[in-house]
Amino acid sequence: MAIRVNPRFIDDLERFGAEDVKMCYQCGDCSTVCPHADDVYKFPRKSMRLLQMGLARKIETTLEPWLCYYCGQCSTQCPREADPGETMMSLRRWLISRYDFTGIARQFFKSRITEVLAIFLIALLTGIFLLYYGFSGGSIHIYDGEGAFLPSPFIHKFDLTVGSILAIFLVINAIRMWYLVMIKGTKFAVPWWLYLKELYQLPWHFFTQKRYSECEKKREHPFFMPWFIHLGLMLGYVTMLVLVMVFVEQLQSGPAIQWSVHIFGYLASIGLIAGTIYFIRNRVKKNYVQYKKSHGTDWVFVILLFLIVLTGITQHVFHRTGLYEWANITYVIHLICVVPWLLRMPFSKWAHLIYRPLAMYLAAIRRDALALQEKLIYSYPINIK
Amino acid sequence: MRTGVYFCQMEESRNLNIDSIAKYSANLPEVETVQILGLKPHPEVKILCEQIKSNNLGRIVIAGDMPGYFKPVFTKAMAMTGGNTNEIRLASFQEHGARGENAMDRAKAIVACATMGVPFSLVAVPGGNPVNHSTLIIGSGIAGIQSALEIANAGKQVYLVEQTGTIGGHMAMFDKTFPTLDCAACILTPKMVSVGQHEMIRLLTKSKVVAVTGKPGSYRVKIKQSARYVDIKSCVACNQCSEVCPVKVESEFDAGISLRKAIYIPFPQAVPNAYLVDEINCTYILSEGKKCGTCMKKCPKECINLNEIDRTIDIEVGNIILATGYELLDISKIEQYGYGTYPNVLTSLEFERLTNASGTTGGRIITKTKHINKKTQKEEWIFSPEGIPPRSVALIHCVGSRNKKYNPYCSRVCCMYSLKFAHLIKEKIPNVTVYEFYIDMRAFGKGYEEFAERIKQEGTFVIRGHTASVAMNNGQMIVRGEDIFNDKLVEFKVDMVVLAVGLIPAHGTEELSRMLGIQRDTDGWFSELDYNGSPTDTDKGGIYVAGMCQAPKDIPDTVAQASAVAAGVLRSLTSGKGIGHLSSLSLSEIEERAKNMHTI
Repeated sequence: MAIRVNPRFIDDLERFGAEDVKMCYQCGDCSTVCPHADDVYKFPRKSMRLLQMGLARKIETTLEPWLCYYCGQCSTQCPREADPGETMMSLRRWLISRYDFTGIARQFFKSRITEVLAIFLIALLTGIFLLYYGFSGGSIHIYDGEGAFLPSPFIHKFDLTVGSILAIFLVINAIRMWYLVMIKGTKFAVPWWLYLKELYQLPWHFFTQKRYSECEKKREHPFFMPWFIHLGLMLGYVTMLVLVMVFVEQLQSGPAIQWSVHIFGYLASIGLIAGTIYFIRNRVKKNYVQYKKSHGTDWVFVILLFLIVLTGITQHVFHRTGLYEWANITYVIHLICVVPWLLRMPFSKWAHLIYRPLAMYLAAIRRDALALQEKLIYSYPINIK
Repeated sequence: MRTGVYFCQMEESRNLNIDSIAKYSANLPEVETVQILGLKPHPEVKILCEQIKSNNLGRIVIAGDMPGYFKPVFTKAMAMTGGNTNEIRLASFQEHGARGENAMDRAKAIVACATMGVPFSLVAVPGGNPVNHSTLIIGSGIAGIQSALEIANAGKQVYLVEQTGTIGGHMAMFDKTFPTLDCAACILTPKMVSVGQHEMIRLLTKSKVVAVTGKPGSYRVKIKQSARYVDIKSCVACNQCSEVCPVKVESEFDAGISLRKAIYIPFPQAVPNAYLVDEINCTYILSEGKKCGTCMKKCPKECINLNEIDRTIDIEVGNIILATGYELLDISKIEQYGYGTYPNVLTSLEFERLTNASGTTGGRIITKTKHINKKTQKEEWIFSPEGIPPRSVALIHCVGSRNKKYNPYCSRVCCMYSLKFAHLIKEKIPNVTVYEFYIDMRAFGKGYEEFAERIKQEGTFVIRGHTASVAMNNGQMIVRGEDIFNDKLVEFKVDMVVLAVGLIPAHGTEELSRMLGIQRDTDGWFSELDYNGSPTDTDKGGIYVAGMCQAPKDIPDTVAQASAVAAGVLRSLTSGKGIGHLSSLSLSEIEERAKNMHTI
């Protein structure tokens, strides 16, 4: 295969956040301090090298950026201040834009104005649609039941529609990722049964994020803090998504609280609100190396999520206290935030919810396949007993 | 000749007011037009051509920090308009030293000379001063010793000032020199002895220069000589005083890996070969004569006088040579290598003393063993005779060097001495494994590359890839590294880690630079006048730099530079005229001279 070099790759990646790649002189300090680097997946130095050589086609088939959880050790140790941690972060953003077949992600990452305009446009359309629907069929004074402003069966269908659009994009992108990594980027045979053998990796990494917690050992935060908060945020998020997609009619009913459903909603809300506040605070204070540089998309991500949670809680409180007009108004605002947020997912950082476990899964398969080929024999001449 | 002056700056000027220089140059004779093109300009040939034509310019002066950078454009424009391209003159502020206090006057003078078409270096020659025939050398490492011998052998008086109790400096601590693997002491000690015995060299140990006044050719120097408490002439170095001394402290000469007494001789070949008292730790001096004093009673020659006081010496010298040397970067702040935490992580100097045949272990390379300090009841790790040789050693290059957080520069000697260490370890311990972790191998000198190849062939694993991780696992040190050439992440169990620590200027360098008015560069080393043209002169006349205090360099380069300095000093002594300070020339004087030359 011909090797294609993109000499402007570093300049291109600057728009995604990596600014100091040129400083790197390949000492390998970053790889030695990384808690995740091993014999098969050596990073960040190798990724830095590929970047410096402009091998964009090669990098898009690698999994290394997804195996990094940005503990920031490499950036702290780097003698050249080349910031390998931020480079890996930028590569993840770049990879999201590569997996995305529409090219929208690339536009969002490169131009903040485009992203904000798109969000406003979708928010506006959603708002107009919901208000039109509400006023044509119901009354603003009624929250649920007959003649409601936004009846729950309608919301349920609405949610499912938005959800399916989201799912279609995500599945196509995930398949593209699999194609790039396992077909284009893997030059050795991968037996099909390895896909079954390592299947447990998907739910395991999705629900525990164990790899992230391994970073904390290096980072020496008290109580594994960022990992714990991130896990809470993620679980809250997923719970909420399930509730909204499946149980929205139970959630929206009555002023009486249906505890069997609502208890999950409350727990999820706690996780979400704690997580968003924690991460916004860190990004403002820039207290750890991984929060020093915030890309525009990072801000949109946390701020929008915070707004969603806030409006969601407010409408819930208004509903239960009987202020139906206010509940309806906040509900419309809530949905105006939710729809662009959900539709933006596949083109933004949020997509790592899917890509991370998938990367872990594919990485394990590749590692097994390599071991089968006996390419992993530790052939270094020295072994001290 | 109708002249146009163009100001092109490559970077923001530190203390030059370009507008004021431009105003000044507009008033110079024959100057037709003055243009300030600003920072990093892109002059266009077409516009320049128009300006040359409209002003009918015969000569163009490009003024700025790096005017040569813009010369091609102007040459093109001049050629296209049919002018004489030889009449493009450069007025380089950087090259002719327009910095410091007189920067503005100097810059004006440079522009004035250029507009008149006479080279600045020909015009601005400071007048000679009558020179005092004595020379002061500050620092007596190999650089100071070499210069002192060269000058003294030419029959001129030398004052050699040394802060510690003995001359020899860092080279006396080394075991072998690279790449020839000669014994360092065999080269140095004969030189030290001849310094000690030379009739033209006055050796001032335990001394410090405290004030320098005067001008080139006749500097008046005040030297404070701390009390040695032992009479150099009568001491025969019998060691009886040291035997009875109750105080034990870490030996500076042994880089802290062994202990010495409060009355001690740094090493057996010290010059002057006499004992001295460490006033910071001596019980008698600390208690102001109330306690101890056993050494005074013991001394058979009665040469110890613990009541001796410091004295100051005033001398007058014509030339001063700075040879103050270097010290190691304090690496306790670089935590990832575990220095200070793990006992068997050594700095390069500590290892140098460990492997030295005259060192505490007699040249046996062993690991530290755990002992219980009887006084404090604390565990401590020391080199003791029962120590065992390491089975594997990791040598890590570039510790604190080429690192933006510590030293951005290359310390220049570390690659080579680390390779030398690898050889010494392989030579002294059978079946040992040695790993070298390097970033870039800088084997730049005569025979160095061959030396590096030889070490690789000896079986040392020279690994391209630095490491930033030394960890301890169940009492076993583990070094993790990336072998970039073999594309592997490696983990090695090692018993000893030697860090090639970066070099920084010796601690008195800043004070001395302020006292003498010598500039230092951004890294703290003394600035020379011109790195290529006059690497030994400073911008003050009659003051020279030699050895490490100018920049990191190895022993051959240091010796060469020290001899070059001696040549500079002897030149001024034989001519009877020292080079005056350029700043003694005023602007009007330079202008006058330039005009005279111009008319010729």
